[in-house]
Amino acid sequence: MKKKKADISVDFAGLRLANPVFTASGTCGYADELADFANINVLGGFITKSITLKPRKGNPTPRIVETDSGMLNAIGLANIGLENFIKEKLPLIEKMTAKVFVNIAGETIDEYVAVAQRLSGEKAIAGLELNISCPNVKKGGITFGTDPIQVAEITSAVKKVSADKILMVKLSPCVTDIAIIARVAVDSGADALSLINTFTAMVIDIETARPVLANKTGGLSGPAIKPIAVYLVNKVYNEVTKNTNVPILGMGGIRNASDAVEFIIAGATAVGIGTANFIDPACAIKIIEGIKKYCARKKIESIKELIGTLEI
Amino acid sequence: MTKEHIKSNKGPFTAAVTANKRLGERFYRLRLEFAGAGARAFAKAQPGQFAELDLSTATLPPPDTIPENLLDVSSRNILLRRPFSFCDLSSKGSKTYVEILYCVLGPASLRMTTLSKNDLVSVIGPLGNGFSVPKGRKIALLASGGMGAGPLLHLAKILKEKHTKIDVIAIVGAKTKKELPFEIHKSQPKDFKKYKVKSLITTDDGSLGIKGLVTECLTEWLNKNKPASKDTIIYSCGPEAMLARVAEIAKQHKIDCQISMERMMACGFGVCQSCAVECSAAGSGETIYKLCCKDGPVFDGKEVIFNL
Repeated sequence: MKKKKADISVDFAGLRLANPVFTASGTCGYADELADFANINVLGGFITKSITLKPRKGNPTPRIVETDSGMLNAIGLANIGLENFIKEKLPLIEKMTAKVFVNIAGETIDEYVAVAQRLSGEKAIAGLELNISCPNVKKGGITFGTDPIQVAEITSAVKKVSADKILMVKLSPCVTDIAIIARVAVDSGADALSLINTFTAMVIDIETARPVLANKTGGLSGPAIKPIAVYLVNKVYNEVTKNTNVPILGMGGIRNASDAVEFIIAGATAVGIGTANFIDPACAIKIIEGIKKYCARKKIESIKELIGTLEI
Repeated sequence: MTKEHIKSNKGPFTAAVTANKRLGERFYRLRLEFAGAGARAFAKAQPGQFAELDLSTATLPPPDTIPENLLDVSSRNILLRRPFSFCDLSSKGSKTYVEILYCVLGPASLRMTTLSKNDLVSVIGPLGNGFSVPKGRKIALLASGGMGAGPLLHLAKILKEKHTKIDVIAIVGAKTKKELPFEIHKSQPKDFKKYKVKSLITTDDGSLGIKGLVTECLTEWLNKNKPASKDTIIYSCGPEAMLARVAEIAKQHKIDCQISMERMMACGFGVCQSCAVECSAAGSGETIYKLCCKDGPVFDGKEVIFNL
């Protein structure tokens, strides 16, 4: 008898994804950079590096440092800027079959709005991921994402100019109660939530008594943050999105299919692979296969059955 | 089906260790054997290119053999790959052999020392842009500091094999005799001698060769031999302060200069943006950040704004 293959497609805010696996912003380039290593067309979703209105040089080096089971980064939103992105990268994105989200960032609400407006109507782009949680820039980033009033303002302002796009808001874990921020984002028009971004952190060189990173602090990512990310996804799922149509893109330290499944059980509709791409650029593809195997082993017909099934 | 989806010409490939030889207190030379797609990919690698090694599964040496300054840091587990350039590359039948000269500096290179014959290592590469040889050169000066000797050894071999009209002179330096990453035979580095490359050794303390810096020796050589600028090229790899001085000397003598830079990297293939190298932008007073992994690691000495 032929074994029935599990259906791992998911509905993500009205978008049908072939599978629940995204590559996360800042770890997979602007378009086809990982194509050297794997067939990126089998990904469910793809999120670009942050795009700002004008090009940004980013921070001085060192920009990264490894920690126990993790790393800090302080890249500083280095990117080619909106116009270069449209000219050079959009034609490449048009050839991709994964659903592409553009991560957008800025120093002011007007900048976010300008980027969103310019990208609306670009059919190759399925959605926008609002980066209000970058810990490595002086203006914008996390300063928006930790203040509920600004979260409301920026989410609704961007929503107004990008009606044809799925608006996903990326949340910072550096808040007292992430559910409050999540609720404000949803109430202000977010179609999806992605969480978590990195934790603000520091490593000190004890020989010089100075921070290792030129930016002094950086964002902690990698397996070290995974249990916190799983907990926060479950919290937002239970307290905010459970009875809504708003999906969660869960991320934080995922490096294999077992990690991904944990997030789905916690309440994520899809998962983002970040730091693990640096170590194995084909990691996300392997995770897709691993999820299929898990479903087969557990006799799950559709991965949708698994979302938010945490038993307490 | 999965295999098809992760078909790659840059890896990750699995290489087998064939040797891991200690060369003095802190230096080792690792030899890796590649078969199949990995062998084909690395057979084309250029001097100055690099590979990213996953050392997370390598075991630590026994605690009593760990240098005291690395004892605390040795307990940290390894997440990211580590970049290494090659000091030699050869092919035999369908296999390709890559050799890496490394120094024990932290928890990953400490684990690397326990790799032994037949151990398997995951390798991504070859990555980045290596050294190039412009047409019409007659003299190549290789200036290395400490561990920087690795890619210049590989370059020396290629110059001797494929550019036989070029006279190759190596100036290799370190703080002390012990810090030279070579086997020394009759006061000459064995490896350069093997390629019949003339080499001058400098040590800061005079424990071997000329007492002083590589850069002082380079200046002296240029002043004494007065090579024609258009005939000459300088290749350099070593600490950033040394590279800055080499670039300055090259500029003063109007000689082309290629330098191999080093930065902390998370990925090595252009997506993490960690390994920024500040460069002057052509035609403006502005500076831009290039990526050490993708735009380099070999840069034109004239373009780099050094981080001193």
